[in-house]
Amino acid sequence: MAHSYKLRYFNLQGRAELARLVFAAAGVEYEDVRYEFADWPKHKASTPFGQIPVLEVDGKPMAQSNAIARYLAREFGLAGKTAWDQGQVDMLVETMMDIGAPVPKIRQCTDEDEKAKLKKSFAEEHLPHYMEAIQKILEENREGKGFLVGDELTLADLAFMCGQDWLKLAMDNPLEKYPKLQEYVDRLAAIPKMAEWLKKRPKSEL
Amino acid sequence: MMPNYKLKYFNFRGRAELARLVFAVAEVEYEDIRFAVEDWPKIKPTTPFGQAPVLEVDGKPLAQSSAIARYLGKEYGLAGKTNWEQAQVDMIMDTMEDILTPMRAIHFCKDEQQKAELQKKYQEETLPNYLKGLETFLCGNNGGDGYFVGSELTLADLTFMHYTGQVEVFVPNPLAKFPKLQALRERVEELPKIAAWIAKRPKTLR
Repeated sequence: MAHSYKLRYFNLQGRAELARLVFAAAGVEYEDVRYEFADWPKHKASTPFGQIPVLEVDGKPMAQSNAIARYLAREFGLAGKTAWDQGQVDMLVETMMDIGAPVPKIRQCTDEDEKAKLKKSFAEEHLPHYMEAIQKILEENREGKGFLVGDELTLADLAFMCGQDWLKLAMDNPLEKYPKLQEYVDRLAAIPKMAEWLKKRPKSEL
Repeated sequence: MMPNYKLKYFNFRGRAELARLVFAVAEVEYEDIRFAVEDWPKIKPTTPFGQAPVLEVDGKPLAQSSAIARYLGKEYGLAGKTNWEQAQVDMIMDTMEDILTPMRAIHFCKDEQQKAELQKKYQEETLPNYLKGLETFLCGNNGGDGYFVGSELTLADLTFMHYTGQVEVFVPNPLAKFPKLQALRERVEELPKIAAWIAKRPKTLR
């Protein structure tokens, strides 16, 4: 029996986009509820921890963006085929969070000199460290012509693709020095269900 | 046949303790490698992303503390019995991470006055708000006298117990106003296998 899904968030990609990508990849219908900032206070009390996104499955609420994304991925066969693969997928999803962690501080920095310093450090030290490791993982799996884990699309690939928009808030072209990763992201974006979602999703600042 | 497990981390509880707790509850043998801070630079390049902890399963590495905990949790029946329960467990684990993250930032704040202000806000607003959400969630299951999810111990309860101890390093008596959460913490710490591990584990500040 099909479940009814309602995803509640702001009108942003932000912390809900990974779940939206899972729905898109799986071809599953859901209600994509988007609040204006002014309306948020009146919905806050109806969430488990006063935060969004929240996913409601047949009316039952679930909070925490990654818990939601992993749940949906498992439901729709995008979580990894074996326990080990699932662990590797989880590892990569968590690593994307680590890669994006310095972005808020860079965005919020008002001192132009300090901001330039932070951006330089992000681009020249922080990012390469991770991108080289991820490129290696991709190359070791079907010589970089496939996916990050196993032989099919998983949450790890969606998280990597989704994460690029977040990284672009701190630097112009995060994958400039990583042609294999760029080619891989382009390939993901060209998957018909992904391309369709990327074309039709609401345009937002974040 | 039992896999060969090696858990590599510093000599802290920190981000490896959740995995150690799962091993203790499941009564599974593993090599509990604790390296000195001075040795880290030469170990770092051997890890997937230059970070610890790393779990090696028959020599294959898995990084990211929560990916490790979830992997072991699933192997040994502590992850939640259904997909929905697993997601609820994930949600609690991620919420505990949200509780700890600001505390770490405050700890590293260099400006003494700002640090004092941030600490005050954390102690008087941020932390109690999360704990209220957790206590409400707990009380929704068996009146709050059992575990967070389902009818047995899961990673949610272990994470809660361990992270409360981490918060306590900075905020004395964090559960004073939350009797059900306090009782859960004690209940988990007093489970024989956990009490035995707590008694025998190396004593470290955090």
